[in-house]
Amino acid sequence: MDIQRLKPHFPWITLLVLVAIVGVADPSFLKPANLLSLAGDIVPLFIMALGLTFAIYIGGIDLSAQSMANMITVVASVYLASLGIWVAALCILAGFMLGTLSGYLTTRMYVPSFISTLAVGGVCFSVAQWLSGNRALNMDATQRNETFGWMIGRTGIVPHELFIALGLLAICLLIERRTILGRALKAVGAGELAAAASGLNVARYKILAFAISGALAAVAGLLFSVKLSGGAPTIANGFLLPAIVAVLVGGTPLTGGVGGVLNTAIGTLIVAVIRASMLYFGIAATQQQMVFGLVLIVAIALTIDRSKLRIVK
Amino acid sequence: MPRILTRENAIRWAPFLVLLALIVLFSAINPSFLSQRNFARIAIAAAPALMVAVGVTFIIVMGSIDLSMEGVVSLTAVLFCFLMLAFGGTLASGGWIAIPIILVVGAAIGLVNGLVHVRLKIPSFMASLALGFVGTGAAILLTGGDIVKFDDPTFRALLTWRILGFPLMVYVAGLCLVLAWFIQAHTRLGRYFYAVGGGEDLAHASGVRVQQVRMAGFALAGFFYAIAAILQVAKLGQAESVTGSNFMFMSITSVVVGGVALWGGIGGVWNTLVGVLIVAVINNGMVVIGLPDFLQAAVLGLLVIIAVILSTDRRSVAFVK
Repeated sequence: MDIQRLKPHFPWITLLVLVAIVGVADPSFLKPANLLSLAGDIVPLFIMALGLTFAIYIGGIDLSAQSMANMITVVASVYLASLGIWVAALCILAGFMLGTLSGYLTTRMYVPSFISTLAVGGVCFSVAQWLSGNRALNMDATQRNETFGWMIGRTGIVPHELFIALGLLAICLLIERRTILGRALKAVGAGELAAAASGLNVARYKILAFAISGALAAVAGLLFSVKLSGGAPTIANGFLLPAIVAVLVGGTPLTGGVGGVLNTAIGTLIVAVIRASMLYFGIAATQQQMVFGLVLIVAIALTIDRSKLRIVK
Repeated sequence: MPRILTRENAIRWAPFLVLLALIVLFSAINPSFLSQRNFARIAIAAAPALMVAVGVTFIIVMGSIDLSMEGVVSLTAVLFCFLMLAFGGTLASGGWIAIPIILVVGAAIGLVNGLVHVRLKIPSFMASLALGFVGTGAAILLTGGDIVKFDDPTFRALLTWRILGFPLMVYVAGLCLVLAWFIQAHTRLGRYFYAVGGGEDLAHASGVRVQQVRMAGFALAGFFYAIAAILQVAKLGQAESVTGSNFMFMSITSVVVGGVALWGGIGGVWNTLVGVLIVAVINNGMVVIGLPDFLQAAVLGLLVIIAVILSTDRRSVAFVK
């Protein structure tokens, strides 16, 4: 059997193996209620990873996702009282516009995406500090429940976050598989110069990819702030690393072009299981960041398409 | 007569002129900016940042990028404090051994970074970002989230002993800058950095061992991050897992604002010095003229974008990822 043909199947095989290992070590892990609540807890991270998938799919990166989510938790906490449900629209619009800015800087101004998104992330951080006065903010509990209570409840044993996650996944899957945008992004990821030579407006589609990434990072921040009933300029720190890990272990390589949002769903579940297994095997929370850093290196090394990188800079 | 107002000249002198303009601007708004005490404050803030920025300068000259500085500075700072305590807690009781050890450790971490980047063929920004996360993680693991500190007046002399109004650490940073300049201008390795940055294929064809040069560059960067960690410990008197935070954004902004091109091959440590001073003067000046400090991250962001846009020759770039 050819290893290259097996490669696309690695992510879900990894997921099953990990679940099996943890399940054998602790059978109560496999209870449906436990698995569902595990999946529910990871949803904000999943939404961020979903957005990042678009940036990575075209061969870029979005390092602003975490700062964006941070800023949105503050925006949501500050404006919930005055805007009600419309605060969600404000958040998503802000994410979309800032993502567009990153995309514009990358494509039209030739600033590499890791720098442009880092800079936009800096802007987000400043806005968050300014709006919050550098404090942790709380949402009014009754108002939160009235406006966004539907996001975080449970029906039976199914957390409502899962419905949001599935809904967004369906939309992204539709974009990826059934729209011109999705096709164009695939073309750009597979070979940007060829895509441009074929008459595709590469810049416009790349800007859109960054905008989607920003908008989804904003949704992640919104959901996170609703869950915590508050916001702060650094509250979502620690999201970026596992989100990138989720995209890469899912099988979307840093070089872009293959993989996609469904892969990211599997990748996020792998991250969730790794986290849970660390608890079961008594690995302290303080070691998580190290483990994920190492997993990231391994994941990149295994997935990256070296034929696309003539010179590795 | 050669034209003075060429694009090359403009790019070369723009950072320096910006620095002067900023100093004039802040002094005009608040004359106390122009005091010796304030300059000492700027120099203290800039000294560790300069060491980090000098380290990453070599990498950027090669056309690569290193985003591991936050993790490396945190880890080496924490390790330095632990070593210091293990050797008695003062320089005199044998703690001085910690300094060379930490410099070697820093270089070793940098070498690992280079190995992952070169041997596994992972783009440097991602390899170094991941290793930076590992470094911060290791620092969290070692400290358990606590602060490590030791009390040694001799070591703190780096901050407290002043010559001509500037503390000792400023001179130490200056000496290290001269060392970096020497490596850049007068060693074979320094010239190879420019060869690789100017065109990897050509460098390879001319017999430069590109892979070794890259690894050496990352090791050298790690060495300078370790110096930064020691100065930062001297400045703060303690170390923890967040000792290195903010260095990534600040140092890369400084290097690029100073006129080192992200595409490699152009600029050097003197550009970095000017860039670090620009960033330090802006951060300090905003406080002196009474602007809130939450603006800093946004200003740095705008600055780096403008610098990259101005320094990019758009005709020569095919596409950008």
